[in-house]
Amino acid sequence: MTFFNTEITWFLDVYILLILGYAILIMSSYLILAYLSTKELRKYLKRNSFVDYDVLLTSEFAPKLSLIAPAYNEGLTIEENVKSLLSLNYNNYQVIVVNDGSKDNSMEILTKTYDLVLTDLEFHPKIETKKIRGIYTSRNAAFKKLIVVDKENGGKADALNVGLNIAQNPYVVCIDVDCILDKDSLLKLAKPFLESYGKRIIATGGVVRIANQCVIKNGRLVEVNVPDVMLSRIQVLEYLRAFLLGRMAWGKLDGLLLISGAFGAFDKEIAILSGGYSTKTVGEDMELIVRMRRYMLDNKLSYSVSYIPDPLCWTEAPEDFKIFKKQRSRWMRGTIETLSIHRRMFLNPKYKLLGMLSVPYWTLFEFLAPAIEFIGLVITAVFILFGLLNWHFFFLLLLFVYTFAVLFSVIALYSEEKTYHKYPKQADFFKLLMAAFIEPFYFHPLTVYAALIGYKEKMMGTKGWGEMTRKGFTKK
Amino acid sequence: MIEFWELYKNGQWEVPFLTFSIYLFVAASLILYLIIVASRNGKIKKERLTKEYSVVIDKIMSDVVFEEIPFTEVKKDKNFLVLFDTSFFREVLTDSLINLHKNYEGVYAQKLEQFYKDSGLIKDSFKKLKSLKWEVKCKGITELSEFNIKEAFDQIIVYSKARKKTLKIVAINAAIKLEGTESIKYLVEHSDPIDDWMQLNIIGAFKKHDIGDTEGIEHLLESQNMTVVTLGLKLIKELKLSQKVPHVAQLAAQTTNTIIKYEAQSILQTLTA
Repeated sequence: MTFFNTEITWFLDVYILLILGYAILIMSSYLILAYLSTKELRKYLKRNSFVDYDVLLTSEFAPKLSLIAPAYNEGLTIEENVKSLLSLNYNNYQVIVVNDGSKDNSMEILTKTYDLVLTDLEFHPKIETKKIRGIYTSRNAAFKKLIVVDKENGGKADALNVGLNIAQNPYVVCIDVDCILDKDSLLKLAKPFLESYGKRIIATGGVVRIANQCVIKNGRLVEVNVPDVMLSRIQVLEYLRAFLLGRMAWGKLDGLLLISGAFGAFDKEIAILSGGYSTKTVGEDMELIVRMRRYMLDNKLSYSVSYIPDPLCWTEAPEDFKIFKKQRSRWMRGTIETLSIHRRMFLNPKYKLLGMLSVPYWTLFEFLAPAIEFIGLVITAVFILFGLLNWHFFFLLLLFVYTFAVLFSVIALYSEEKTYHKYPKQADFFKLLMAAFIEPFYFHPLTVYAALIGYKEKMMGTKGWGEMTRKGFTKK
Repeated sequence: MIEFWELYKNGQWEVPFLTFSIYLFVAASLILYLIIVASRNGKIKKERLTKEYSVVIDKIMSDVVFEEIPFTEVKKDKNFLVLFDTSFFREVLTDSLINLHKNYEGVYAQKLEQFYKDSGLIKDSFKKLKSLKWEVKCKGITELSEFNIKEAFDQIIVYSKARKKTLKIVAINAAIKLEGTESIKYLVEHSDPIDDWMQLNIIGAFKKHDIGDTEGIEHLLESQNMTVVTLGLKLIKELKLSQKVPHVAQLAAQTTNTIIKYEAQSILQTLTA
């Protein structure tokens, strides 16, 4: 019995040490990234205040872009969304809308609104895709930038690959058709492609923010509001943390593994040489970036991935738990699939910072974190059951994690306040502050649960996206 | 620290560590919260002041531009003098002046330039050039070039060789506005590569400020730096300088660099079509 007690004490000690070690590691990494991000963000804003984007507007030497917007059952909003894509502040660009076998009337709406006719556009497909039913252009000169491709359903990645095959310009911008883009978003996204001499910029990505309850007029965001619904409100805070305090630092370190599928630009040649979007994963945005980077490193080519911290793209966040769960479990599946496809990169010095830091970080803190948390909960439950739990220590640990979570959200609010100040209304600020206090009890368990569902789906071999219904934005 | 080390050695560090961390996180959150509140209040105050100042400034500018009232008259107003002593008012005034100057031409623009000199705002701009902060230098350069202060050229051109890229671009743009091609002549000897963004900015400055005299641009084609040659070719193409065709033809015939040769031939085709 004494031996048994010694064993338990030893196990408890090790367990506490492991938990604390993991918590300290994750917290320190967050703080380091936040520090680097804030520093870099300030530098960027200083630099940016002297940038004249008009030179890109007026020059024929501005990078030529092809916007690829895959659409599946977007009939409700497609007319206005395409209109807003056609009216962006940029000259050298074309818009390719890929109708991915929608079951609704998307194609009819597009044909009628934009006066589309079948065309014999010549292109040489480099990536295999599902069958294309037809390529359409407009008879109306006002829409000469628009190409609509009607194809059989093959998923988002397949639709994006069709766009890559058809795009006539050297850079492609992949977007979600239902996103609201800032009018100058293309100017900002294109600039990095011109900036690096000797190093090839293979991709640039911008910040995505939540548009729920914001006011949209003629496809443009005219008023920023913080949502009343708690689930989407906390996602505003979550996106602030991710984009303002995380990705900027990874961008600075040139270790970004993800450019949001909602809005990112790619060097078409490298994207095609790397094989285009993978149709075998639901995390095709992350997987493409990792594969493009891997291609450059394998071929010893000098490259970089650039990150623009300006809020360029606004998207609708899920407002009910069912849809939120689907989205987050899919994200987790995407992460698992990408890390599994590129497992050779893990701690592989050949892949430099990517292999030694980015991939291990994602594995430890993005992929494994929910599992570690779940195991912790189970062990705690067992301790309670056997009367082994030191309640004082337990509450102290809980408070430690909770106060850090609140602090990190407040840092995000501070960073937002000192940089973009997109939520100037006092009420909005207090709504976000309140969300920071509620999040650890309400939102965080939901994300862990959704991630666990993601693990389960991956183990069961679930494929595909599942339906993601959207409410649509408030329009003026 | 020693106490903590003792606790660590005794294996009793966890509870004090957690307690200390919790206090630290709470205190840090509270401090950040107070900073955010202060910053928001500061912004509100600044916004209010800007609105108030704008009313005063609009009246003064209207008098200066349309009623031909000189600064010597304006400064007789004691309220104005009090405001003029505050740096924020001068900042708002300079910004308003720049915005107006961008929208006016001819006599009206000259009156604004005169006001800028007479009021002493020009001295503020020159002072900014001496700042240790590159962003303040950029601001000074932008102001001086906006009001066509040619005397500033010698100081500004120095910064076109700065290591900080943004400062370099702002200085070259300003120098091009003030002295045209004179400001890019030094690029012939430039050894560092000039990236596409900087090239676009230089071309943009020529177009924006409508620089008519393009004498000397052809010298860029003689540079040993291929990015400078590319810039020269792009300038000739964008500004449609058909008088430079012989220089482009010579480059196309002599260069061993295939990319430059192709670019030169393409421009020859465009300009002679």
